[in-house]
Amino acid sequence: MRRLFNALPAMLVLLILVAAWLLPPFLPWDYRIIDWDHVSSPAFTPGHLLGTDNVGRDLLSRTLIGTRITTMVAIAAATVSLLIGTLWGALAGWCGGRIDNVMMRIVDALYALPFMFVVILLMVVFGRSILLVFIGIGAVEWLTMARVVRGQMLALRQRPFILASEAAGASPRFIIFRHALPNMAAVILAYLLLTVPQVVMVESFLSFLGLGVQEPMTSLGILVKEGADDMDVFPMALMVPGGVLVTLVICLTLLGERLRDRWTA
Amino acid sequence: MFGLILRRLMASIPTLLAVVFLSFFLMRFAPGSPFDGERPLDPETRLALDAAYGLDQPIIVQFGRYITGLAHGDFGPSLVYRDFTVTDLIWTGLPVSLLIGALALLLAMAGGIAIGLAATLRPNGPLDCRLMLGMTLLTALPTFVTGPILALVFALWLGWLPVAGWGNGAPVYVVLPVLALTLPTMGAVAKLTRAGLAQIMTQDHIRAAQGRGISGWRLISRHALRPALLPVISYAGPAAAGLLTGAVVIETIFALPGLGRYFVQGALNRDYPLVMGVVTLYAALIVLFNLIADVLYGWLDPRVRG
Repeated sequence: MRRLFNALPAMLVLLILVAAWLLPPFLPWDYRIIDWDHVSSPAFTPGHLLGTDNVGRDLLSRTLIGTRITTMVAIAAATVSLLIGTLWGALAGWCGGRIDNVMMRIVDALYALPFMFVVILLMVVFGRSILLVFIGIGAVEWLTMARVVRGQMLALRQRPFILASEAAGASPRFIIFRHALPNMAAVILAYLLLTVPQVVMVESFLSFLGLGVQEPMTSLGILVKEGADDMDVFPMALMVPGGVLVTLVICLTLLGERLRDRWTA
Repeated sequence: MFGLILRRLMASIPTLLAVVFLSFFLMRFAPGSPFDGERPLDPETRLALDAAYGLDQPIIVQFGRYITGLAHGDFGPSLVYRDFTVTDLIWTGLPVSLLIGALALLLAMAGGIAIGLAATLRPNGPLDCRLMLGMTLLTALPTFVTGPILALVFALWLGWLPVAGWGNGAPVYVVLPVLALTLPTMGAVAKLTRAGLAQIMTQDHIRAAQGRGISGWRLISRHALRPALLPVISYAGPAAAGLLTGAVVIETIFALPGLGRYFVQGALNRDYPLVMGVVTLYAALIVLFNLIADVLYGWLDPRVRG
């Protein structure tokens, strides 16, 4: 029983992802198609398991597609933050001294920025395209990764196998990519997993305000917004996407924290 | 102490300048213009509008003017709300946002510390486990989900409170927004308090106190609480930042006439001066909160006063 409970977050995440990526083609109604005969219909209407929204689009398939877009944005943005953060942190940790100092001061200064507003600013400036949503988020979310990788790098820098490799004349690039980064892969992976739910939140936040993903595409944030607009007549439209979003964020956070505690202890 | 404040103030100047610089240049390089409408304007009108708002000057001159204006407390004219300056809009929105934010911060701190304490009284007991699981859930609930759900339950179904609106700050209108804003921060504060206390309780001075026969509430309140609150205090800065961000959503959901609403409207309408002004103000507020947190930290922990 206890083992089942421990495995619950991973199973839920898997379930949501598999449903979002595999199920939509098998549903009778596409997420963009309007069913004129069933507008704002309740759950269990024939053909619409969870009912339809106020213009007659199937809620189940909209939620699944929204989940797909949200997870896609999250994974892409987390990858961007992984790339920037790892390189920045590895370089700072490897060089040490003054370069390290300057690089980490920059990270500190950026931490003090009201980062959500910077992302919104980026959205306003470069238009609201889905590509920019995740580049913008990833460019802001890399700070923690940079700090973590730098800390690991500083510790590894003094380890005999790195020193030996250096003494044998290996180039810094070779040492960083072949020796140092693979050695901290577990820690990086754990923090990557923790970045994903944060990005999910940011993306939904932006989409909720109308600054993220644009119609006819949809995302969990947009669905929550639409649901909130007509929750008085149709609470399901708020509960379903909201529930998926919250489940996803909670389960991913729990998973990430568990991995972090196990791999960094 | 005074030196600490002064040093921190000096250190915040580059951050603020960076924010102003970044927002100014990003906004100016943006494609599109606030004067773009359904039909293109004829060139003469366009030129006249640009000249009226100083947009025909070189960009460096515009930046210089903007900085000079800022130093005098002038955020420039709003390009969309034609009859208002950004300063006017900020002055109408700021009190609303500050009231909501300050109430939420106070509630989150008080509630979070109380829950953290309650959980520590019996470490790893059933109450502790349940409270901490609850707090983890709270921190993961985004305000844009809790806000509508609270409105649905307490306003639409139960009819106890108004769904939205400001009502000139009447208490009934303030309850739901503040509650929605408080919950995630309260969860984080409770977790930090719990973690801080758990760590302090293993230290020597606690064992010494226990050896002298002090236990229970007195042990926690007199010996453990003050050092355990240090991480909570340093979280106050980020918490304030989080509350400001959350307030943007909350003000949109509950239709409050606060800063966040103007910010979102400005962002959707490409009202450059308004967005820049609000971002600058938010940055200043966050810097201020970090400063207050640092000073409090120095007051609680003599080791960092230097």
